Amino acid sequence: MTTIIRITLKGIFRDRVFQGIMVTACAFLLIPVIASLSMRQVTELSLTLSLSLISFILLLLAVFLGGTSLWKDIERRYTFSVLGLPLSRQSYMIGRFGGTALFVLLAAAVLGVAAFAVVSYSSAIYPTDRPIVWSTMAICILFDALKYILLIAVAFLFSTVSTSFFLPVFGTIATFLAGGVTQQVFEFVNSPASKALSPLVKKLATILYYLLPNFGAFDLKVNAIYSLPLPFEGLLLTAAYFVVYVGLLLSAAATIFSRREMR
Amino acid sequence: MNAIEITGLYKQFPGKRMTKVDALKGLDLTIAAGEVFGFLGPNGAGKSTTIKLVMGLLRPTSGRAQIMGMDSNQAESRRHVGYLPENPAFYDYLSAEEYISFVGSQFKMEAALLAQRSEDVLKRLDLWDARKRPMRGYSKGMVQRVGLAQALVHDPDVYILDEPMSGLDPIGRALVKDIIFDLKARGKCVFFSTHITDDVEKVCDRVGVINKGELLVVENVETILQRGVQGYSVFVMNPDGAKEELFIEKAHLQAFIQQSVVNQQSIEKIEPRRKDMEAFFLEIVAQ
Ligand SMILES: Nc1ncnc2c1ncn2[C@@H]1O[C@H](COP(=O)(O)OP(=O)(O)OP(=O)(O)O)[C@@H](O)[C@H]1O
Ligand SMILES: [Mg+2]
Repeated sequence: MTTIIRITLKGIFRDRVFQGIMVTACAFLLIPVIASLSMRQVTELSLTLSLSLISFILLLLAVFLGGTSLWKDIERRYTFSVLGLPLSRQSYMIGRFGGTALFVLLAAAVLGVAAFAVVSYSSAIYPTDRPIVWSTMAICILFDALKYILLIAVAFLFSTVSTSFFLPVFGTIATFLAGGVTQQVFEFVNSPASKALSPLVKKLATILYYLLPNFGAFDLKVNAIYSLPLPFEGLLLTAAYFVVYVGLLLSAAATIFSRREMR
Repeated sequence: MNAIEITGLYKQFPGKRMTKVDALKGLDLTIAAGEVFGFLGPNGAGKSTTIKLVMGLLRPTSGRAQIMGMDSNQAESRRHVGYLPENPAFYDYLSAEEYISFVGSQFKMEAALLAQRSEDVLKRLDLWDARKRPMRGYSKGMVQRVGLAQALVHDPDVYILDEPMSGLDPIGRALVKDIIFDLKARGKCVFFSTHITDDVEKVCDRVGVINKGELLVVENVETILQRGVQGYSVFVMNPDGAKEELFIEKAHLQAFIQQSVVNQQSIEKIEPRRKDMEAFFLEIVAQ
């Protein structure tokens, strides 16, 4: 399995998608310039922009690498040669996932360093009222990365049932969009303001709330930007949620994939 | 222990509009260890389907396949197998050398041995000069050669090759025959599919002919060739020095030789004239 992870990483580094996305990352250089145009709260703004850019790049990586990894292997008939080795379907799939997830973590670390450089540059020129808490920023980026790793697991589950890249890519995007708002919808449905809604809609929203991944909890941008203290227990809970949810997604994906035929 | 055991193997594919395609209709076949077996059949006969079922890439509708006594649905059954898929494709961002070492590590080969074996097979398949280039830039025949190299590198006991000579030039074909001969001499089991009868005639111990998902015959190559002997071409020199080629039927050969002594003809050469494997194959498939 570790060799599959290694092969996956090699593949990503030599992939054109990755290289294109890395060009996007050069947008980091523009952040201080754009932020300084605002004249006010320059450092906060460059922090916000950096974190959003990281989030955006990781989203692209998660959707395109996660959504096409298995599909490409099947489409290009690599699965015949690889699955003809004494390698179980499960370890192959988990290895593919592991490599992609590891890459997202690496990318988050590299981008985090870039963000660190950008923000310290801005704050040196435009000192802030509240000092930046670097550890909060790092944890914010880490949880962002976890969020996208969870999304990759979703993409893998879609890939195991699909024969094209359509479902994995668009299904993943849809899940991401829906998963970002489930918390708000759930709170709205359970608030007095939702009296007008039919009970059926409420039930449906509640089911979806529990079924879809909840990405809201992974978002710590506000804490990082305004140097607010982190909710420690909340983070632990989110981490546990991450482990359980990814575990469930991967077991389902592995079960489906091991029954799948390579035609 | 038998290398490959196939019992009642049946495979149905979903066809157009709710119909079913019977790709394989209850195949029974046993390949002994150390045997070279040629799996012969026309296009669409079910050769690749059989091989994919044996390799656990497809799931049988019913029946089962085993390699070295282990069911094909277990990854471990492939531990002693070198597999060459039909028109293979490999991670094209890797070089041949990287891919071979990936395969070697999947078979838990020790690093020094792997390096040595990798060099051996890459040289043998004439990939040595191209070994560092990504496979994206390889020709079809070169990819086929990588396929053979990765099946050979870990020196398994069982080889399952789906059309090993396809896409190769005459030199490559001769090389593959050579390799199979070598494997045979070293007591390895080779199970390979082909639709070229000549390949079978030269290297196989036994041959199976499959058509439309049914195994029609399994026979020793030796027996087929023997049975195919219909007569002899006899080259004689008459007392006056004139040379002549005569066709003598199998049953009459003995009598002819005696007669030639009487006639003072000298026999220069006797060659068996046989119905070859090609004729055998065509005859069976036409039935
Ligand atoms: N994925 C599939 N879906 C539907 N039918 C299939 C599928 N794969 C194979 N078949 C059918 O099964 C039969 C056997 O195909 P198979 O690929 O085993 O033939 P083959 O003997 O390998 O032929 P060739 O010499 O052309 O490689 C064919 O009739 C084919 O149409
Ligand atoms: Mg075939």
